[in-house]
Amino acid sequence: MRTILAIAKKELTVYLTTPMAWIVFTFVSFLTSWFFIGLLMGFKEVHDRMRTMQVSWDQVPPDYQAFRNLTEGVIVNLWGTMLVVTLFVSPFLSMRLFAEERRQKTFELLMTTPVRSIEIVLGKYLGAVGIVAATVGVTIVYPVILSLFGASWNPATMEAKPTLEWSTVLLGYGALILFGSTCMAIGMFISSLTDSQMVAAIVALVISLVWMLVRIIAPNAEEPVRSILAYLSFDSQLQNMLKGVLELKPLVFFSSVILVFILLTHRSVEARRWT
Amino acid sequence: MAMIEVETLTKRYRDRVAIDALSFTIAEGKIVGFLGPNGAGKSTTMKILTGFMPPTSGKARVGGFDVFESPLEAKKKIGYLPETPPLYPELTVRGYLKFVAELKAVPRASVKAEIDRVAQHTGVTSELDRLCSSLSKGYRQRVGIAQALLGNPALLILDEPTEGLDPRQRHEVLELIKGLAGKHTVVLSTHILAEVKTTCEHVLIVHRGKIVADQPMASITDLEAKFISLTAQ
Repeated sequence: MRTILAIAKKELTVYLTTPMAWIVFTFVSFLTSWFFIGLLMGFKEVHDRMRTMQVSWDQVPPDYQAFRNLTEGVIVNLWGTMLVVTLFVSPFLSMRLFAEERRQKTFELLMTTPVRSIEIVLGKYLGAVGIVAATVGVTIVYPVILSLFGASWNPATMEAKPTLEWSTVLLGYGALILFGSTCMAIGMFISSLTDSQMVAAIVALVISLVWMLVRIIAPNAEEPVRSILAYLSFDSQLQNMLKGVLELKPLVFFSSVILVFILLTHRSVEARRWT
Repeated sequence: MAMIEVETLTKRYRDRVAIDALSFTIAEGKIVGFLGPNGAGKSTTMKILTGFMPPTSGKARVGGFDVFESPLEAKKKIGYLPETPPLYPELTVRGYLKFVAELKAVPRASVKAEIDRVAQHTGVTSELDRLCSSLSKGYRQRVGIAQALLGNPALLILDEPTEGLDPRQRHEVLELIKGLAGKHTVVLSTHILAEVKTTCEHVLIVHRGKIVADQPMASITDLEAKFISLTAQ
């Protein structure tokens, strides 16, 4: 356990002393703040229009129902962007995990100290989850801003009521981190196969992207392939959790995918010694 | 007691035979020079002994433990300096040594003292707070040796430890290795015969994956002539 934590800590130190993590943090904040402002403006516009037109929520078409409250109107809509951003940045965070060790010849150090290879894999993965959680966590400022300034005034009771449902928000973050962790597991495996970080990043991105988009090709397929594809897609597994519904199915699904890729990485690390 | 026992150790890379049925033993507490021309199989043998790479066939035991049947026990006895010092450029020397100490399961309470001890031993105390990426080649090599010394392993396997050092540093490193005699068994791979003459008590020469000489240093009068004649073909 101590070695796993030592490796995880080393990974995080390396992440935070190289520019890569900071570039990713900046990129994520820049892109999501852009979308956040856009969504907030849209939210405001819907509410303004409703006030001037004197319509109640019951008369609004179902497409606009999400704008009833800030949680669904802004934050849940932001998750869509966040998913795509996480999908695109995680390969760049995972690419160095093993490829860099090989290139720097430090892999020999890890493999000749009294540490099991599964401990190396788990330590690295723990560090990877830490950094992807930090990347997703950067965006926690948006719900915080909303909960500080987004209280709705209730004239009947003369009280300000917070409009943000933190349970939904936190569950959404849990889902995003779970998704990010899955991307990192895939990326770690690919990184263990090659010495080149560039190759590792591109291959990992392609795999995650295809896996994400499987749902788009699913409707064109025949049964039972259609159901299988629909089930396997990251996108469909995440949908309910992002809306604030905690289900066992996506938890089992993502944990299994993560486990499979951790085991594959372990096999690949072992196998590379034989060549 | 034998620290290293190697029996008919063979390693083949696809069509090339790197080492061919190597057998030798190294006694505890000895400083052994491991010599051979480039590509003779020195690094391959060291990689197998340290458990980095499995052999194609044959057995290797370190401190009585089979390197492949009980790798963790065998690895605990070894301090290894690979050809390239395995440093992380992003870490400070202290952070790096702390990391290696944790990998080697040095007791938590003695990590700090252990780092100070090896740093002093290898003369890197003044560089402890520098980043590994900013070190000169000589210091990188020393930090590599310091890393191998962590945890006070019984066996040190040093692959060309004086590579890239200036004559003064080279002398210091060799003195350091000599100082380890008795307490540690040292396997020293090098091209520089003069170093072997002054530091080693025993010499192993490999050529094309086979042992061609295995004898005490005292019994060799002219190492250069012997080396050249043995590795001629």
